[in-house]
Amino acid sequence: MEARAVCEILKYVIIHWKKEAAELSRKALLEGELLVSIEESTPKHRADPSHYVTTIAFAGSACGDLVPKQFLKGIQSLLSGFSGKLTWPSEEAHCAQDLAGLASFQIKIEVDEKPPTLMADCLVIKQFLHRTSIVHPKVRFHFGGEVNGILFKETFGVEKEPVVKLLNGIGLLTSQHHYMRPGFLGAQQVCSRIHPVLGHPVLLSIPDEEANMGLLGQLTLTPAAALCPCHKLHPDQTSRISAAFVFLYGPSGLPLIFPNQEHPLTVFKDNSYLFDWKKYHLRAAPNSNISLEDDLVLPDVSYWIESHERSWPQDSDQQILLLFLMVDFQGGFPAQLTEAWGLQSLLLTHLNSILLENQSLVQGAVQTAVDQALEQHHRRVKAQQKLQASIPVAVSSILSVVAGSTRSSFRALCLQTLQAVDTQEFRRRLHEAFQMTLHQRSMCDPKKQQLPEPSSSAEEREEGDESLDEALAGSCCPGEAPRPKRSCQGEGVGRKAQAASWLPLLSLGEAPQRSIGTGPTCSQARGWGGPETRGEDTLWLQEVSNLSEWLRAGPGSRPVP
Amino acid sequence: MAFALMGPEASFFRVLDQHRVSLIQSLKEGPGEAPRKEASSSEVLVSIENIIQDIVTSLARNEAPFLTLDNRSNWENIKFEDSVGLQMIPHCSTKKIKSDSAQSAQRFALILKILSMIYKLVQSNTYATKRDIYYTDIQLFGNQSVVDNIINDISCMLKVPRRYLHILSTSKGLIAGNLSYIEEDGTKVNCTCSTAVAVPSNIQGIRNLATDAKFLLIVEKDATFQRLLDDNFCNKLSPCIIITAMSFEAHNLTVPTIRWLGLLPSDIERLNIPKDTLIPLTKRDQMKLDSILKRPYVTCQPFWKKEMEIMAELKMKAEIQALTFISSDYLSRVYLPNKLQFGGWI
Repeated sequence: MEARAVCEILKYVIIHWKKEAAELSRKALLEGELLVSIEESTPKHRADPSHYVTTIAFAGSACGDLVPKQFLKGIQSLLSGFSGKLTWPSEEAHCAQDLAGLASFQIKIEVDEKPPTLMADCLVIKQFLHRTSIVHPKVRFHFGGEVNGILFKETFGVEKEPVVKLLNGIGLLTSQHHYMRPGFLGAQQVCSRIHPVLGHPVLLSIPDEEANMGLLGQLTLTPAAALCPCHKLHPDQTSRISAAFVFLYGPSGLPLIFPNQEHPLTVFKDNSYLFDWKKYHLRAAPNSNISLEDDLVLPDVSYWIESHERSWPQDSDQQILLLFLMVDFQGGFPAQLTEAWGLQSLLLTHLNSILLENQSLVQGAVQTAVDQALEQHHRRVKAQQKLQASIPVAVSSILSVVAGSTRSSFRALCLQTLQAVDTQEFRRRLHEAFQMTLHQRSMCDPKKQQLPEPSSSAEEREEGDESLDEALAGSCCPGEAPRPKRSCQGEGVGRKAQAASWLPLLSLGEAPQRSIGTGPTCSQARGWGGPETRGEDTLWLQEVSNLSEWLRAGPGSRPVP
Repeated sequence: MAFALMGPEASFFRVLDQHRVSLIQSLKEGPGEAPRKEASSSEVLVSIENIIQDIVTSLARNEAPFLTLDNRSNWENIKFEDSVGLQMIPHCSTKKIKSDSAQSAQRFALILKILSMIYKLVQSNTYATKRDIYYTDIQLFGNQSVVDNIINDISCMLKVPRRYLHILSTSKGLIAGNLSYIEEDGTKVNCTCSTAVAVPSNIQGIRNLATDAKFLLIVEKDATFQRLLDDNFCNKLSPCIIITAMSFEAHNLTVPTIRWLGLLPSDIERLNIPKDTLIPLTKRDQMKLDSILKRPYVTCQPFWKKEMEIMAELKMKAEIQALTFISSDYLSRVYLPNKLQFGGWI
């Protein structure tokens, strides 16, 4: 499958970057640009397998040290068994300088595939890029091309997006639109970020059997947990955790599990492997309903969560518990890139046994991180319980005095004030009135809450600059529920920079036959666009929709553009 | 009514009699504050109904109701009156108990709960102790002190003594000496018996109170009270009354004023109390002492301030039992008679 080949090459590139970067500084975030472009070279009838060319181009500050011949040889060795054709524009050292002063390289992969298979491959590659981009926030991943006459383009890793540094050279994008759709939130203004809590790394012991298979060295697992969306701005708003997503990353910050791959890790079928849900009066059930067509970052493991304590009010907001598990080797990089790449696969093969062997350690580390992440949620739940428990006591007490009074004028006045005809209705209205006052408090009068206007391009930049060094316990950034429009407001200037960075990469290969110009560059492609980009928004939405429809329709059909 | 004929000479009580005269005089010439109003049951019921009505009105306006209480925990709001003792100042600072705050919602509900119980008690002219209130729903209230605090808050809020709320203290006090009365059920009580009498919970029903006592001695510890009984103190210094502290609440005085007899910090050096009987002040004692010294009403009481400064300097305290190290009956034979005869109180 082409998707697998493309992703393995991308892994190889990132491992190379990480190795080169680690020689300078283990803690620095990777920087660079990576492009994946897919084009149909000879358009034919849809039913026949078509010939597609995938171009992978990358530009990074460490590129200058790359020896193309060796690099290509390494890639050829890791793709043994691959049926497609792998080419390099020139066997000689080919390192062009783009406007940004970065060296760049290009690899082409040619395959014959049926359109539905290719569409599925596109979704897999897109998801892989998205997953990788959230832990390599300074790397820009461009994915685009032309398939069956339809152009598509997407960029992951928007400039100035808020990020936190987690581990050595690994970061985490904290804009919540990567993990949750805006429509999933309440109607009110919310914090637009997640606030991950980094747990302590634990040293995993490698069973002898695995060590004998070549898995040597010190393996660590570091958890990070966060709730999405953040409710710090509305501490009185009732919320319930409705799902838990687990993201697994291996060395060099690469997704451990290939998108759409059959899940090799059976440990997570045990709901209680990672976390004691009962501690928070929750129950978990595996959720296998994850669609590649989703524009969000898809988890490796997903659970449905429900509370077994009580039913939640109808207006409770839903939150998702995000858990990031970073597995890495403590020692330095192996001398050979191919060896480092091979370790990734070897790790995944044996990770199940290793996780089983170290369950208590893993659970302890995860529990600590999750406890901290849920601390505020837990306090909020307790506060809500206190408020709700007080209402029936207050209502009965008031009713006792009113009903027991011998002064008819007092009784009549109280009933009349709440427009009740009898004490039964009076009780009901008292209860409703108390609930209403609590609800009003949790909704927060907009006049009282002086939230800043949606960030302008300048503010966004400033915020982005600060966020590169943001502490893990960073403060909330109040703002409207994240809509792609807002995150793209700053792109008016950014778009030109985008175009500039595109051109050198594209110029090394075939230019796309059709172009929609310097289109929007948000990673969240659905639903955004200000008045000035509305025409482009519509076109873009159609194209994204067409991609999904194409996949569903199968061969022989063509969605209406 | 015949009382015990034993007792010292009349001249023994000269200082005490002078003290009583001055107290009565100061009452007459007082600052002009209106005496505490005696509230009728219907007035208490109307006060509670007014509170409920205000809450219902707030709810009808979609406003979260709240209760306003005098801030009893701020010493700036407390003053000391010779004729009364500790009391809230006029226009003291207040605190809001909100119904829509997680911190105070529970307290708001519990205040309403106890208000409704008081309403029923007053309406039916029945009584309950603070303990009874707590035991109506121990899970709801949590602990006795929560109930006690809320009852005190309600007493302040309605500006009536607790007895008008038909809530009694859970008395474990004892009384002995020159006193007789008839209880509500008609029982005649004479406290001059050799054994002490339990203080009744419902003092509202007491009538025909008769006494010739020159003084009422409040004894902190039951053991010391028993020692005085054993030493026949009530007869030796007759006519007098002795009572344990458990039956006596400082904020609900039934005597015009109170004086501190001992063991004073200044007594420690004056009487040469053995040093090995003294107890070092704990950190908590020290903090309490510092806090009391800063209270506004203390700054107006030079004798109290002086004694506390002596204690702070000594960094030691002494229990009344320390006097037994001088001799077993030193308290009843020497210490108390001398203090009472020569006005050794502050």
